[in-house]
Amino acid sequence: MKKQGKSSSYLGDVFRRFKAHKLAMVGLCVIILEVLLVFLLPMIFDIDPYTSDINAFGAAPSAEHILGTDDIGRDIFARLIYGGQVSLFVGLVSTLISVAIGVPLGVIAGYYGGTFETIVMRSADVFMSFPSIILILVLVSVVGPSIFTVTLVIGIMGWTQFARLIYGNVLSVREKDYVESARAIGEKNFRIITKYILPNTFAPVLIALTFSTANAIIMESSLSFLGMGVQPPQASWGNILYDAQSITVLSQKPWLWVPPGIALVLTVLSINFFGDGVRDALDTKMKI
Amino acid sequence: MANTLLEVNNLQVQFSTIDSTVTAVDGVSFSVNKGETLGVVGESGCGKSVTSMAILRLLGKTGKITQGEILFEGQDILKKSESDMCQIRGKEIAMIFQDSMTGLNPVMTIGKQLIGTITVHEKMNKKTAEKKAIDMLKKVGIPSPEQRMNEYPHQLSGGMRQRVMIAMALSCNPSLLIADEPTTALDVTIQAQIIELMKDLKKTSEAAIIIITHDLGVVAEMADRIMVMYSGQVVEYADARSIFINPLHPYTRGLLSSIPRLDKDVDVLYAIKGSVPSLQNVPKGCRFCERCQDAMEICKNKPPVLCTVGDCSVRCWKYTK
Repeated sequence: MKKQGKSSSYLGDVFRRFKAHKLAMVGLCVIILEVLLVFLLPMIFDIDPYTSDINAFGAAPSAEHILGTDDIGRDIFARLIYGGQVSLFVGLVSTLISVAIGVPLGVIAGYYGGTFETIVMRSADVFMSFPSIILILVLVSVVGPSIFTVTLVIGIMGWTQFARLIYGNVLSVREKDYVESARAIGEKNFRIITKYILPNTFAPVLIALTFSTANAIIMESSLSFLGMGVQPPQASWGNILYDAQSITVLSQKPWLWVPPGIALVLTVLSINFFGDGVRDALDTKMKI
Repeated sequence: MANTLLEVNNLQVQFSTIDSTVTAVDGVSFSVNKGETLGVVGESGCGKSVTSMAILRLLGKTGKITQGEILFEGQDILKKSESDMCQIRGKEIAMIFQDSMTGLNPVMTIGKQLIGTITVHEKMNKKTAEKKAIDMLKKVGIPSPEQRMNEYPHQLSGGMRQRVMIAMALSCNPSLLIADEPTTALDVTIQAQIIELMKDLKKTSEAAIIIITHDLGVVAEMADRIMVMYSGQVVEYADARSIFINPLHPYTRGLLSSIPRLDKDVDVLYAIKGSVPSLQNVPKGCRFCERCQDAMEICKNKPPVLCTVGDCSVRCWKYTK
C-alpha cells in the first residue's frame, strides 16, 4: 500500500497529474488568455464593434484596424472580441442549464428506478432521436432568435447526455459496498445521494462539462452562421462568418473569415484538450 | 426470557428472478441474548449473509421476507416503517461488512465518514463528534488517529480499513453487532489481529455479536453458541463447546475435519465432496444427503426436521427417534 506524506491529498494529486498533461496546460493557458482578452480588453480600451469607419469599407489589415474592416466598415478585431464574449457565455451557460436539468433527473432515475426511470430515460431516447439542429432551428424560429433563446434552447437540448451519463454511473455506484454500508449505518436516501452517490459520479460529469461547452460553442456558431442565432448588429463568431459567405470575400478578403475561424477552432480545441487533461487527472487508476 | 435481545422465528427469505423464485433462507429460527456471541457457520451460498441482511431489512428489491418474524427487543422489525428502520440501523444494530476494500466511500476522508456516522444518530457539535471519532479509532487500535482522520481510504491498508469499518459500526454503541465475514478479505496475520480486536471488544462493550463466517477457527475463539447452516436451513444449533467436542450433524463433522491440524500428520486434507445444491433445484429429501457419508434410504425421500438432542438441535434422520 502506498503511503505518502501530507502533500498527497486527493486534490493535490489531481493538480499534479493535470500539470503533467502538456496539451491540457496549453489548452488551459489559451482559455485563460482568451477570457482575459475577451472580457478585460473592452474595459481597458475603447473598442467599438458597431460604428462604421466611413474611410475604410472592407479594408485590409492596417495599423488602424489590425484585422481590417468588414464591408460596412466595422472593425473586425472589435467584433471578434465581442463575438468571443457571446461564444463563451453561450457555451458555459447553456452547459450549466443542461447539467441543472440532466443531473437531477439522471440521479433520481438511476437511484430510485421504477416508473420515473422509465419516463426520464425514454424521453431522453426520444430527445436524442431528433436531429437536434433541426429541432433547435424550429424552436428558435418560433421563439425568435436572440442570445438568450439560443442559450436556453441549446441548454435544454443538451440535458440528455448528462442524464444518461449520470444515470449509468449511478446504476453502478448504487450497488457499491459503501452505499450498502451507508444504509446499514442508517443513512437516509437523501444523504446517501448527496454524500455517497454524487461525489462518486462527479468526475465524468466534470469531463462531459468541458466537451459539452465546446459543443455548445460550435452549435451557437452554426446557428448564427445559419442566421438563426445571435442577430446583427450584435457580433458573434458565427455571424461574422455568415457575413463572409460570398465568393469574392472568400477568395479576396481572408481577414473577414480567417480570424473568427481560427478563434473558433482554437477555443474548441483548447477546451477539448483541457477536458482530456481533467479526465486523466481525475482518473485515480492512472498514477503519474 | 427477558434477557433475549434478538429472536428470529421461522424466517423465510425468497428471491424472485424473472423465471423462478428461490428460497434462500428457509425456516430459520434462533435467538441472541444480550452480550452473547452467536457464530453462524456454513459454506458460501447457504444463506448466512441473507439472514443477516434480513435482520437489517436490507435485502434490496428482489429479496423478500415471506414468512416468520424478527423480534428485536421484543418488537417485530418486519412491522416497522422504513424511517424507523433508519433509526435502528447503525444505532441499535450495526453491521461490519466482508470487504473492507470497497466498504468505505473512496471520496471522503476517514474522519468525515466517522463523524458522519456518529452524527446520523446523535446530535452533537462537530468538535465533540470529532473527538469521539478519534477515540473510536484509538479503541480499534489505529496508530496516530489524528493524522488518519484526514486520510482517504486508499491511503490505508486492508487491515486498517477493516478497523475503521469496525470503528464506524461501534461508534453509536449498538446493542447488536453483525459481523459478516469480517476477516475473509484479509491476510492471515491481519485476520489474527482483527479477531483479537473483536475479542477485546466483546469483553469491553456490552454488545451482542453475530459473527458470520465459513471459518470454524474464527468462531471457536469467540462464539458462545454456534449455528451451522446448510442450503438455507439450520442443520445444527448448539453450544460452541459441544459443537467442537461432539458434533452431531455429518455436515458439521465434515466442516470440522476440513480444518488443517498441526497436531496430526495428515497427507491429504479432508474435503466434503460435492457442493451445495442449487437453490433452484432443492433435493426432495435431506439437502445434504448427496454429500453425506452416513446417508440412509430415508434421507433421499423425506426431509428431516430439527430435533433436540440434549442441549443441541440437529436436522438429521440419525437422531430422529
